[in-house]
Amino acid sequence: MRRHTFRMATAVATTAAVTLAVSACGSDDGGGSTGGATDAEGQTLDVWIMQGTNPSADAFFEEVGTAFTEQTGAELNVEFVEWGDAHDRFVTSIAGGTTPDVAETGTTWTPEFADAGALAPLGDHVAEAGLDGDLVEGLVEAGTYDGELYGMPWYAGVRSLVYNTEIFEQAGVEPPTTWDELEAAAQAIKAEFPDKIAVAVPGDAEFTVYPWVWGAGGDVATLEGDTWTSQLDSPAAQEGLSFWTGLAEQGLSSAGATTWRETDVLDAFALGDVGMAIMGSWTPGAIVEANADMEGKFAAVPIPGQDGGISPSVLGGSHLSMFETAENKDLAFAFIEMMTTGELATKWGEQAGYFPGQKSLLDKTLASTDPLVAPFAEQFVDGGASVPVSPHFGAVQAKGTTSTMMQSILSGDADVAAASSAAAEEMTSLLNGGS
Amino acid sequence: MTSTTRVSAPAGRGNAPAGADRVRGRSLVARSRPWLLLAPALVVLAVLMLWPLIRVLLFSLQDYGLPQIVSGETVWIGLDNYTEVLTSAQLWQVVLPNTVGFSVLAVSCTVAFGTAVAVLLASLGTVWRTIVSSAIMAAWAMPAVTGTYVWVWIFDADRGVFNHVLQSLGLQDQAVNWFTDRWSFYAIVLINIVHHGFPFVAVTVLAGLLGVPKELLEAAEVDGAGAWRRFFSIIVPQLRQVFAVVIILSTIWDFKVFAQVFLMPGGAGTNREVLNLGVWSYVESFGQNRYGFGSAIAVLLTLMLLVVTVVYVRTILKEDEL
Repeated sequence: MRRHTFRMATAVATTAAVTLAVSACGSDDGGGSTGGATDAEGQTLDVWIMQGTNPSADAFFEEVGTAFTEQTGAELNVEFVEWGDAHDRFVTSIAGGTTPDVAETGTTWTPEFADAGALAPLGDHVAEAGLDGDLVEGLVEAGTYDGELYGMPWYAGVRSLVYNTEIFEQAGVEPPTTWDELEAAAQAIKAEFPDKIAVAVPGDAEFTVYPWVWGAGGDVATLEGDTWTSQLDSPAAQEGLSFWTGLAEQGLSSAGATTWRETDVLDAFALGDVGMAIMGSWTPGAIVEANADMEGKFAAVPIPGQDGGISPSVLGGSHLSMFETAENKDLAFAFIEMMTTGELATKWGEQAGYFPGQKSLLDKTLASTDPLVAPFAEQFVDGGASVPVSPHFGAVQAKGTTSTMMQSILSGDADVAAASSAAAEEMTSLLNGGS
Repeated sequence: MTSTTRVSAPAGRGNAPAGADRVRGRSLVARSRPWLLLAPALVVLAVLMLWPLIRVLLFSLQDYGLPQIVSGETVWIGLDNYTEVLTSAQLWQVVLPNTVGFSVLAVSCTVAFGTAVAVLLASLGTVWRTIVSSAIMAAWAMPAVTGTYVWVWIFDADRGVFNHVLQSLGLQDQAVNWFTDRWSFYAIVLINIVHHGFPFVAVTVLAGLLGVPKELLEAAEVDGAGAWRRFFSIIVPQLRQVFAVVIILSTIWDFKVFAQVFLMPGGAGTNREVLNLGVWSYVESFGQNRYGFGSAIAVLLTLMLLVVTVVYVRTILKEDEL
């Protein structure tokens, strides 16, 4: 009874969610069946997929549903969940015992949910499918908790410097390769287009901040023994932060950007209002989707290093995780395997601008010469980095530690030194399980 | 009412002992009948309202996080959550001043503006009254989320109407981000809340206004009382009960403002200066998976509202007795 009401409540709350194969009671239908993955007639697999700044995925999952039913006989019930609401929905569904069978989980969440005991281990399934050595290492590492794999590498994304080629041409500047060049280019753009945003410095987008910390030789946090220490207030990190926020201080960004999220950067860039910005490998499709006029009017380069080279950027990504509540675990893994390997994984990567989590597929993507793929691939291989791998990093993100620091610097409430040491103190405490 | 009972009771007792028994028997049934009739509703209320309240109270005494939810184990920690809340510098410096200061301002503005609109409505003819009330109903009917996005859009730094007008008038050289400063942030929230809350006040006060006897007002006018005098000496005392309801409800609503702050740029916790009780509780419980701590904040919020309400109701009742 309680379970039923909860389901109805969620259904009402997510009117925006798209259901591809509607089924009244989800995984409950399969009750007690021990049928193998290929003979799951009449069962339904509930899956949650995330939505954000990536292009629309409706058509892709319609195709997946058909292929899945063909292969296993079971129905696929996909629900799209906004990234922003997803953490809360996972937690409430874990509490109510109404988790889906399989869900896309952000790499920083997988250890957290595994730590809570909500996820089913995948190691045996992976070994059985012979995929052991063929998964991208960084993603495996992020999906491993306590020596056991809980998140199946699905895809990875990376952020680079995306720029508006029309604005660059008219301002007579080349894509920058050092920080000085980047600053000079932004100044030239501002001189030519006083009403445009030369470089977007958003205040509520932590992943656009870390490249400058790493680029200056700093660290977000370091682990010594069992203790994390945030390094955001180290001299090197402060140098990077000063450069990045200094661009805004010179008036090369905009006042509004102080409270922008990455979705706002995307909107402004798609309108043609932004010269350059740190944006993900999955955004080119979304930019064109938002404004077809932008087709062919933007390009990307790896984020320049301080004196040349590349400033590292977060290798973000997603796992497919199986929940302990999944009744037919073989069926659930059949879906995971189908999504993360072979044809469908390649197609998803190409459509959405992601890098596949299977090594053999990734190598193919990295060899691409597409001007909107190659720079990201270069960043991926030569300039990838990871945020602290700790089940508590989700708490740092939820608290908005880095965004708080950025906003107080950008709004002029605090200088880089004061803001970064406050942020470092908070991050250190949170990473070590404090509050 | 009371006088009739007093008269009839001795009369009944004076009849016969047997009759008294019958009366007592009947009165037991009679006394329990209303409760029997109310029982189904009370049970539903207890399940839907009381039980969740008790659960929140229980959670607030526990270290209750994601691992506890999954494993089902209970970790009692006594009043630790409350100690942490009450000794937090953030509570006293930011959260409480924001919450209390804002609700005092918001309630005064909403009630004052709503009453002014009600007076205007009362002086209008039927046609215009219908038109104006429908217009203000639109503001009331607008969902909080939609309304908030509209105000955010109006005050947007780069593309907002407000900055655009200021710049065209030459009052401002550069775009200003109104969401980063504590005062301007809450000024926008105030406009949003008053805009969304005044129709309720206006409609309720209007109903009261129409009930004020015309003779009283005419008599006062003959005695030479001006419009202000008539309003404050006749209408306001007549409407005391109405104002009590309106003020208590507005206080409760404005104390636990959440969506209108959470959805504003920087309002979801990244601008620590604008946290209020509702958002703080949410960020701590859902972001940090510390449901026990969040519950403690929620319990304190409920207690504060109870105190405010009780004090206010008592003052009103006392004034009535005088």
